[in-house]
Amino acid sequence: MPAFPYYNTQAIAALNDQAVALLKLFAERGYVREEPSMLQPAEIFLDRSGEEIRRRTFTLMDPSGRELALRPDLTIPICREAVLSKRSFPARVSYNGLVFRHQPGEPQRPTQFFQAGVELLGLEDRAAGEREILSLVIAALRAAGLKDFSLRIGDVALFGALVDSLSLPKQWRWRLKRHFWRAGYVENLIQWLAQGGSHKAPTRAELEAALDSETEAPSAGRSRDEIIARALDRGAEAAALHLDPKVSSAIIKLLDISAPADRAMLEIRALLKTAGIQLEAQLAAMDARLAALKSLGVEPGQVQFAAHFGRNMEYYTGLVFELWARDREGPVQIAGGGRYDTLLETLGAKQPVSAIGCAIRTERVLAVKGAA
Amino acid sequence: MLTLAIPSKGRLKDNCNAWFAERGLVLEQTVGARGYRASFAGFPDIEVMLLSAGEIASSLLTGDIHLGITGEDLLREEAPELTGRMHLIKGLGFGFADVVVAVSRYWIDVSTMADLDDVCAGYAHRHRRRLRVATKYAQLTRSFFAQARIADYRIVPSAGATEGAPAAGTAEVIVDITTTGATLRDNGLKVLEDGVILKSQAQLAASITADWDASSRAACEKLLAQLKEAPAWTALAAQLPA
Repeated sequence: MPAFPYYNTQAIAALNDQAVALLKLFAERGYVREEPSMLQPAEIFLDRSGEEIRRRTFTLMDPSGRELALRPDLTIPICREAVLSKRSFPARVSYNGLVFRHQPGEPQRPTQFFQAGVELLGLEDRAAGEREILSLVIAALRAAGLKDFSLRIGDVALFGALVDSLSLPKQWRWRLKRHFWRAGYVENLIQWLAQGGSHKAPTRAELEAALDSETEAPSAGRSRDEIIARALDRGAEAAALHLDPKVSSAIIKLLDISAPADRAMLEIRALLKTAGIQLEAQLAAMDARLAALKSLGVEPGQVQFAAHFGRNMEYYTGLVFELWARDREGPVQIAGGGRYDTLLETLGAKQPVSAIGCAIRTERVLAVKGAA
Repeated sequence: MLTLAIPSKGRLKDNCNAWFAERGLVLEQTVGARGYRASFAGFPDIEVMLLSAGEIASSLLTGDIHLGITGEDLLREEAPELTGRMHLIKGLGFGFADVVVAVSRYWIDVSTMADLDDVCAGYAHRHRRRLRVATKYAQLTRSFFAQARIADYRIVPSAGATEGAPAAGTAEVIVDITTTGATLRDNGLKVLEDGVILKSQAQLAASITADWDASSRAACEKLLAQLKEAPAWTALAAQLPA
C-alpha cells in the first residue's frame, strides 16, 4: 500500500463485497452497525492517550482555532458515544470505516486504511465475552475467505496479578503495571528494585513545615493533603522497597517468554513455582481461552503466547491478541484486539464497564487472499 | 552569493556583532534596506540578513538561507531531527540558557522526573484529565517526556510569560527557558533535578537543504577560514549534496 492509497474500480468492488460479508456476519451475531464522524475533537484522543498519540495522529486546526483530529481508531469515538448516550449494557456495536495514522519513520506506509470491527461493552461474564470475540474474529476471517492464519495472544492482567503478588509498596506496584506496555523499561525497574532503592522518610511535621514555608508558591492543581499523603506514602515505601533476586529474575524470564501457547503455559507455571508465586486464577483464564480456541479449530500449538505482548496501546487491561497471515511481502497482521475495561470510565462512565473488541485490517486481508 | 542571517535585535545581536568584530569582520548596514540587510567589508559574496531569532531557525529549516546564528533551543525545537536538514557548526559561547522542566515549589514531594511521572498518572486517575504542561517548546517537551517514560500529560501552547501559568491556573507544570533561574524563583517554581532538557547557547548553523551553488560554497569556505574555523567547512561540505 502506498502512503496515499488510490482505490480503482476493482479495489472498491472487492472492498465493498468484503465489507458486506463481514457486516452481515456481525449483524447475525447481534452487533449493530454505527459510524462516528472521521473528524473528531482532538482532546478525545489526547485526554485518553496522552501526548504520545500525537506521534501517530493527524491533527489540524479548524478556522476558529479548535484542534481537531482525523480519527486514529473507531473504538474511542464509539465508546465515548456509548457513554454520552447512556446506552444500556451489554451493547454490541460493529463498524467498517477508514482510520488515519501517521507512521513515524515509515513514510511509505499508508496514511489511511479500512478497519472492520466490533465492540462488546458491559458484558459482566468476561470469559464469555472473550469466547464471543475470539469466535467472531475467527469466523469473520474465514467468512472473508482466509484459511491460513496464526494467532498471537497475551494477557496484560497476568502481569498485573504477578505484580500484585509481590511484597512491594502500592505506588511501586502501580508504577510497574502502568509501564508494562513499554518493553525494556519494566525490566530495568525490576532489576533496580532487586538491588534495593533508597529514600529517606520525612515526618508529617517536617512536611507541614516545608509546605508552610512555600505559601507564596502556587498549589498548581494539587491540594496540601494530596501532597502530604504522597510524600508520606513514599517515605513509608522506602523500608519496604526490596525484591528477592530469585523473584526478580523469574519475572524477567517470564516477561521474555514467547512460545507456542501449550509450551509457554508450562514454562510460566514452572517459573512461578520457582519464585513461589500463586497466579492460578489468571492461568486458568488463559487455559480457558486456549480451550475455546481449540473448540474453534485452532490448536494450542498454532497459538503463540507472548508474555510481553508489546502492543503499543496503553488502554488494554487483559486479554490481547493479534491474527497474522502472509501476503506477497511476508508476515502481516490482519486483525487485533483485546480487553480494555477502564476505557469507558476514563471517557466519563460513572461506573466500571467491561469492554472487549477487535478490528480487522480488511485491505490486508484482500492482499493476503491475492497472494494465495 | 552566500546568505547569513543574524538576530536583528537585543543582546543576541550585540553579542553577534562583537563576536564577528573580534574575528576581523565588521558589519556594514546596506543603504536603503531599512536596517534589515548588511554586509561584511571585503566579503562582497556574503549577504547578511537581520531576522528575528525564530525566523532564523525556520529559514534554516526551509533552506531559505545558507547560514544563521540563533539559539540552539529554537533550532532543536524547529527540527527535532537535525540530520539531513541542519548542521550545527559551532557554539558561540554566548546566549547561554537552559530549557528546563519546572514545577511549583509547593510540590515538596516532587524533585525528579520519576516523581512527576507518579504525579501525572495520579492526576489523570483522580481528575480524569491530563496534567497540563505549558510551553513554547512542544517538540522538545514531547521527546524529553517520552525519554522519561511520561505519557499522562497534555501540552498547552504558551506564547509568552509561561512562568505565570501555574499561578494563573492555565497549566500545572511548565517547560521554559531560564538563564539565572530568578524568574522561575520569583514565580514560586523550581527546576526538577533531572529536568534540564537542553543546555542551549547561540549556534552558528548551516542549512543542508539550501541551494549550495559553487559561489555560495566558495564564500562559506572563505568565511569560515576568516573565522578560524576552517575544519568546520570540511565537516559541513561532507554533508551537502554533491
